[in-house]
Amino acid sequence: MIQHDVVVVGGGLAGMRAAVEAAEAGADVAIVSKMHPVRSHSGAAQGGINAALGNREDDSPENHAFDCVKGSDYLGDQDAIEAMTDDAPRQIVWLEHRGCIFSRMPDGRIAQRPFGGAGSPRTCYSADVTGLVILHTLWEQLERFGVKVYEEYFATALCVEDGVGAGVVAYNMRTGELELVSAKATIFATGGLGRVYAKTTNGYASTGDGMAIAYRAGIPLMDMEFVQFHPTSLKVNGVLLSEAARGEGAYLLNKDGERFMFKYAPNKGELASRDVVSRAEWTEILEGRGVDGCVFLDLRHLGREKILERLPQIRELALDATGLDAIDTPIPILPGMHYAMGGIETDKFGATKIPGVYAAGECACVSVHGANRLGGNSLLETIVFGSRSARHAVEYIKSQGSVRRSDRTLQSEQERIAGILARSGGERHSQVRKAMNAAMSENVFIFRDAAGLGTAVDALRKVRDSAKTMTVADKSKTFNTDLVGLLETEFLVDIAQAIAHGALSRTESRGAQARTDFPDRDDEKWLVHSRFNYTGDDPRIDYDRKVTMTKWEPTVRTY
Amino acid sequence: MSKITLDLFRFDPAVDAEPHRDRVDIDFPETSTVLDALEYAKAEVDGSISFRRSCRSAICGSCSMNINGVTGLACKTPISTVLRADRSVRIDPMPNFQPMKDMVVHMDPFWDKYSRLKPYLQPKDKDEDHERERRVSPEDMRKLVAVANCVMCATCYALCPVVSVDPSFAGPAAISYAYRFIEDVRDDKRKERLGQISDDYLWLCAHCYACSYCPKHVEPHDRIIDTKRASVKEGLIDAAGPRHALVFAKTVKQKGVLDENEVVVGTVGRFNFRGLAAIAPLGLRMAIKGKIPPLILHPIDKVGEVRTIFDTLEVPVA
Repeated sequence: MIQHDVVVVGGGLAGMRAAVEAAEAGADVAIVSKMHPVRSHSGAAQGGINAALGNREDDSPENHAFDCVKGSDYLGDQDAIEAMTDDAPRQIVWLEHRGCIFSRMPDGRIAQRPFGGAGSPRTCYSADVTGLVILHTLWEQLERFGVKVYEEYFATALCVEDGVGAGVVAYNMRTGELELVSAKATIFATGGLGRVYAKTTNGYASTGDGMAIAYRAGIPLMDMEFVQFHPTSLKVNGVLLSEAARGEGAYLLNKDGERFMFKYAPNKGELASRDVVSRAEWTEILEGRGVDGCVFLDLRHLGREKILERLPQIRELALDATGLDAIDTPIPILPGMHYAMGGIETDKFGATKIPGVYAAGECACVSVHGANRLGGNSLLETIVFGSRSARHAVEYIKSQGSVRRSDRTLQSEQERIAGILARSGGERHSQVRKAMNAAMSENVFIFRDAAGLGTAVDALRKVRDSAKTMTVADKSKTFNTDLVGLLETEFLVDIAQAIAHGALSRTESRGAQARTDFPDRDDEKWLVHSRFNYTGDDPRIDYDRKVTMTKWEPTVRTY
Repeated sequence: MSKITLDLFRFDPAVDAEPHRDRVDIDFPETSTVLDALEYAKAEVDGSISFRRSCRSAICGSCSMNINGVTGLACKTPISTVLRADRSVRIDPMPNFQPMKDMVVHMDPFWDKYSRLKPYLQPKDKDEDHERERRVSPEDMRKLVAVANCVMCATCYALCPVVSVDPSFAGPAAISYAYRFIEDVRDDKRKERLGQISDDYLWLCAHCYACSYCPKHVEPHDRIIDTKRASVKEGLIDAAGPRHALVFAKTVKQKGVLDENEVVVGTVGRFNFRGLAAIAPLGLRMAIKGKIPPLILHPIDKVGEVRTIFDTLEVPVA
């Protein structure tokens, strides 16, 4: 029987940061993860992590906060944003003190680069492998504290006893057994949901597991309609080319070789916020100024030396995928699904509606990103809210007695999984996932309208029905990735429905939600968060949570 | 689209007594990667084909496997570069690991090699003494950049012939990771780390260069040489490995050719009488068969040029 004071679900940056915080505080903490921590998709983050260190230019957490508020199109909660930007410099120093390999300025301080939507160069980085170096630093700290990692354990359900969180049930992929992982506090840090879409910068593992598990257990999801499309994903395979390229000075070109961004963002050009740049690219493509459905990222003028020193990974990714060398050729790119601004609803400490259950990182919605996240803030969110949620959880468990064992959850999960393995006759889950991907990619993309969203909502209802009978080919107890794939598809379908319904219900355009039938932002009606409550069918949406404002009144947003 | 056959290693210990092979035919673009092909075959043909994968952009390190006899990341290997004459691609799990199922292997021995290193910064001074970041010059940080790119995919470990004969060898990846701390100017344990990695059979590396095939350009082989040099520089030379390297270099520098007898004596230790006695029977057998190299070896004519090479490259010698 597995039992700990604190269990963290997910071993990426948010999860490991939470575990290290809890371990430093002396708590008995363990990580449950469907993959080894260093395999987490956090490692694919390239460009950097924001903090107002002011190493290059004068800067302040307040300036950083304002940029986030504006970037969020005023949907972000300003108290949470300020908490994040205030803590950012301390967290960067914390990482550096633990050995993180940041790129440096000539005087030895941490180097910072400009990023989209930012008023000054505040993105700390390590060439274009920033996520990877931070991932390694945190994994090293797990080794240091001897944090137990239940590796290749796939969480399937949240345990709730007496109205409080009591850990999770997880499927041990090596033995094929479901196990009860009991805990006084549970922190979800399961990352993103990119696999809702066919083309995404996200890895195969980004299937929204924690979001769906919390949602099914009665915790609302929030702001799910806000999906970020990154302006520069490779045309051929959707792989990410970092915003750091534009931060270092790269151009976006249309088929005429024109730097089109200044038509859409006269001041910031290529370094406008991501929603603005992606819409601009898509407009160029729709109006016939693309080439084969894409535009170009041009690094040539940066020169070989700068590209090899600061952007070596993206040069190689483009070279491997397209055969084109960014040193002397513009690279075909287009906007690609990248990030979920929405997620498990939390307060500014990462706490959810159920006592003892927390969420941090991409799977959570605090909300610090509102309707659009700025580049360099996702890594920051994982670190700040990973540590904040763990600190809060460690305090919370002091008021708790012994761990509650939820044998009934274990039993119901055992029955559910046995039922799935025994099924026959239904569609293969890969086919169900394809239908879901098609509905989302066609109609819940950059530009949306009621007709398309209605089509998507209908299609997803059919998908949900077929998901009830979908089957696996592999019935083995050993490392059954087919079964895990089916369970992930179930989670994705829940989430896809929330996204599509949320997009249909919100009759305004704000940040990443661009409705062609409602092109304006409507602050009278829509300065509220969308909350999605699980029903087993269409989500029940409420708009009872208002946006928290501290200093900044909504104004017209231009870049 | 073209017809491609995936020739797959299949093994599920729960049902199979022995591994077997499956041939899976697919219609698929050759420009795609081997991972794309596996993913397609799993989705469309046989859901039970098992392999690890996540990022598909060579950063998570999950999908290293053996492709036509060469280990590498499936997500970084275009099908067109490995398609055999019969339009098949042979896929096996990484060697040097126990298979768990199909291409999935037991990774624990690999991770254990890291854990032994205490792979975390042990700073020279207290964090509390630094209100801000510790200052590190760009040059000092740049030394760590190659290893910072390591994704721990274990390709080098799977390719290492020393691991295959002695599984306790730390292996190229872990030695490289140790080097990352050894060269970190913020770290206080340089000498202890070098001592420990030497004990972990650093000197067993046979310099075969198999690990120079690294998908992330970490060049583990160069990091092993760097680590050996650092080890000698710190005076950690009282073991067979460093003695061998140093006496080897010494004889070549002195004579322009290898003095094999001197290398044997120097490696075992000139005054290590027990060690020398242990190899004496071998020497005797070699003598009977006339295999003992010449006992007296004169320097070659242009030995001065050889010595210049050694001095120019600052090669350490015994």
